[in-house]
Amino acid sequence: MTVMTKMKAFATAAGFAATLMVGGASMASAEEVTLTMAVPDWPPTRIMKKFFDEQYKPKSGNTVKLDVDFIPWPDFYTRVNASLTSGEQKYNFIVSDSQWLGAFVEGGYFRKINDLLEADPDFMATFKSIHPNPLNAYSTYPHKSENYYGFPQFPDVLVNFARADILCHEEEQKNFQAKYGKKLPCTGEELDAMTWDDFRNVGEFFMRKKGDMLAGKPAEDDFYGIAYQAGKGYDFSSMQINGFIWQMGGNTWDETQAPKGQAEGVVNSPEAVKALEKYLDMIQFMPPVAKTGTMDIFKSDELFREGKVAMNIDWIGLGEASLDPKTSKVSDKLVFGQMPGTMGPDGKMIRWSNIGGQPFVLTTWTTDAQIKEAVEFVKWWLSPEIQHQFAAGGGQSAIKSVYEDPKYVTYRPWNRAWAPQLDWQKDVWHVPQFFELLTQQQDQFDLAITGKQDAKTTLDNIAKFQQNLLKEAGLIE
Amino acid sequence: MTVRTSPTPISFFAPSADNWKLAIFVGVIATLLATLALPAAAAFWVVGVAAALIAAAFVVNAYRRRYYGGLLVAPAIAVLFVMNIFPLLWSLGLSFFAYQSNQQSIRFVGLQNYVKVLTNDLAAEANWYALINTAMFVVFTVSAQMIVGFLLAMLFAKQFPLRRYLLILVLTPMMLSVVASGVFFTYYYDPTFGILSYVMNNLTGQQFILMDNKVGAVAGIVFADAWMWSPFVMLLVLAGLVSVPKYLYEAAAIDRVSAWRQFWTITFPYIRGLLMLALLFRTIEAFKLADLVILLTKGGNDTMTISYHLIRIANEQNKTSEGAAISYVMLFMVIVLTNLYLYLANRRSQGT
Repeated sequence: MTVMTKMKAFATAAGFAATLMVGGASMASAEEVTLTMAVPDWPPTRIMKKFFDEQYKPKSGNTVKLDVDFIPWPDFYTRVNASLTSGEQKYNFIVSDSQWLGAFVEGGYFRKINDLLEADPDFMATFKSIHPNPLNAYSTYPHKSENYYGFPQFPDVLVNFARADILCHEEEQKNFQAKYGKKLPCTGEELDAMTWDDFRNVGEFFMRKKGDMLAGKPAEDDFYGIAYQAGKGYDFSSMQINGFIWQMGGNTWDETQAPKGQAEGVVNSPEAVKALEKYLDMIQFMPPVAKTGTMDIFKSDELFREGKVAMNIDWIGLGEASLDPKTSKVSDKLVFGQMPGTMGPDGKMIRWSNIGGQPFVLTTWTTDAQIKEAVEFVKWWLSPEIQHQFAAGGGQSAIKSVYEDPKYVTYRPWNRAWAPQLDWQKDVWHVPQFFELLTQQQDQFDLAITGKQDAKTTLDNIAKFQQNLLKEAGLIE
Repeated sequence: MTVRTSPTPISFFAPSADNWKLAIFVGVIATLLATLALPAAAAFWVVGVAAALIAAAFVVNAYRRRYYGGLLVAPAIAVLFVMNIFPLLWSLGLSFFAYQSNQQSIRFVGLQNYVKVLTNDLAAEANWYALINTAMFVVFTVSAQMIVGFLLAMLFAKQFPLRRYLLILVLTPMMLSVVASGVFFTYYYDPTFGILSYVMNNLTGQQFILMDNKVGAVAGIVFADAWMWSPFVMLLVLAGLVSVPKYLYEAAAIDRVSAWRQFWTITFPYIRGLLMLALLFRTIEAFKLADLVILLTKGGNDTMTISYHLIRIANEQNKTSEGAAISYVMLFMVIVLTNLYLYLANRRSQGT
């Protein structure tokens, strides 16, 4: 190549680039904006994508695309974590478990949205119409501060899945009354009124061997009274045990009290030990897999759908499959109620429970143009009309005007438990040390669940570890 | 075409494109200066450019001096370096820093990570505990696979009806994905849905739960692992068995040599090398056992292995440099074990 041809080639290339730039600028009036999103692959996110594709019309006149990566649940954290920490800056929106907020905010990945809320009164009004408990859990870091990050994608609580066909059977009703001097809960309202002691009785009462009579027929297989999560993986025992501890007057390490709040003496308080003992005591009335430490939320749900237990405490998020005859042997025999509570000294029921569900959050590298469209999209998503459709399609809504609408309870049988339970939701550990706290606690709970150590030792070990770790991190003085 | 003599060696300071010695010198100086003076993000690219410069000098040098063999393998070496050696060195470097992948700060701490993973009363205890479990799994899974694989190979070395189809069936577990096998075995062992408990319940009349104690959980994992990997041992041994010349057996038969002696003097020398290879492969793999543990027990009932422990520390908890330190301790152990084993294997083969 001579010098001349080189020059010519350069000039052509420069001209081409300039044309592109000018062309690009003149097109700015109707831009194409793509929002990428990492979500777990399950119905609530599929519905979101479907609604978006079918119904969303951006007000700006731009063409807005929602590019969604559906990631299977078991891989979800690993993939999101790898994407964020590797710095690939791929996603604008990320569905996040509420407890991941601290780690990812501190890492500089999740974008604070206070400026967006303040700039847009409509947006603020919508945002503030979210029930305060999910709002605190899903959006604030530090927990319960005024720094906001997320919006509810699928809010969730624990509810009681129960078998009406067995619970309401006359014979069983009579025998239960004779044995415990109390009526066997059968309707939704009766389920709501249950305490953990009643739940235990149901567990004990319905332990049947193959061939024993069960609701007027010989049982085809061994049958068990109750089930709840008691697995070693992820948070599949903590989310249940936390509720027990809070209801019975104990506490977990309270991040809102940092750095004054302690772990030792709180986490292993006598009340907490008692609560854990109560939790462990009921495992004997559950399907035997609970003794192996692998009874996670999916296993107990499967056992329930296969008709092996009378009652199961699980997330609403898994409920849809139990109503579908294709995936459930008990689809037409169900009744739902609130998770059991503990009777307070004043005769009022205490119902604290650990919130489930996920918010979705914006990432820090999202451009201004994308943010503009993202805000419009979120406003649309949280608008009552879409939230109603979402709930009707199997989602849940934390927007006050939506779940208070009389229509709401008609969407799904468990919705009657939704609004009252929302008032009793708490959350734990939005701090960056979340995963260390969780794995150690899950390991310890697993030792207790599989019968290798007692409740006191378990909570002592947890308290010691937390005290140590949080002190090093400066969260405990 | 005229025969060219290769260019005369150039002096160290000649700024020629093929002066690789100078390139290394400049590269090292630039690297040092950049790491000391520039912020990490910029230094990274300076070091990258320096490495590319050195590589380019080598390539030009090889081209001018017509080391075409070297040029031909250069792409492979480049890929190896970028994909393998560089990350390895990078993680080795990270193990001397306090660094978490989800935080922006990084601080040099020397050997502190190693001290922590080996002596800290909380961290080290968990590591040693996982390491002992891993050793246990290595012994059990590898011996199970070697024995079963060897016996299967002896069986399939003979001719019998349907041998070909049975062989395919036996090889199938090895080709399945570990996740599929893991899920299969969770159901197989499940006390409510599983066939194992069904059979045992009917036999004993008692509730049978395999995975609720350490013995059962370890047995479950070892069985699943042996099920998947015995065929691999079998394949290797089978290759050795079919390579034994028939006439040796015929001669032995004429001499009326006992079957036992035939095996030790004819068959075994042919398969020993392959058995050793299978043992080596399986030991290294067993040392890394994590997938089945995650799928079957999540590390419960005393089945935590060092690999799974490492995954939790490095990936879930983002303690990158601590994870790197554990990895290098592990790597060191595997290298020592492998060399010890190779040394013993060589000594034995020289002895006979």
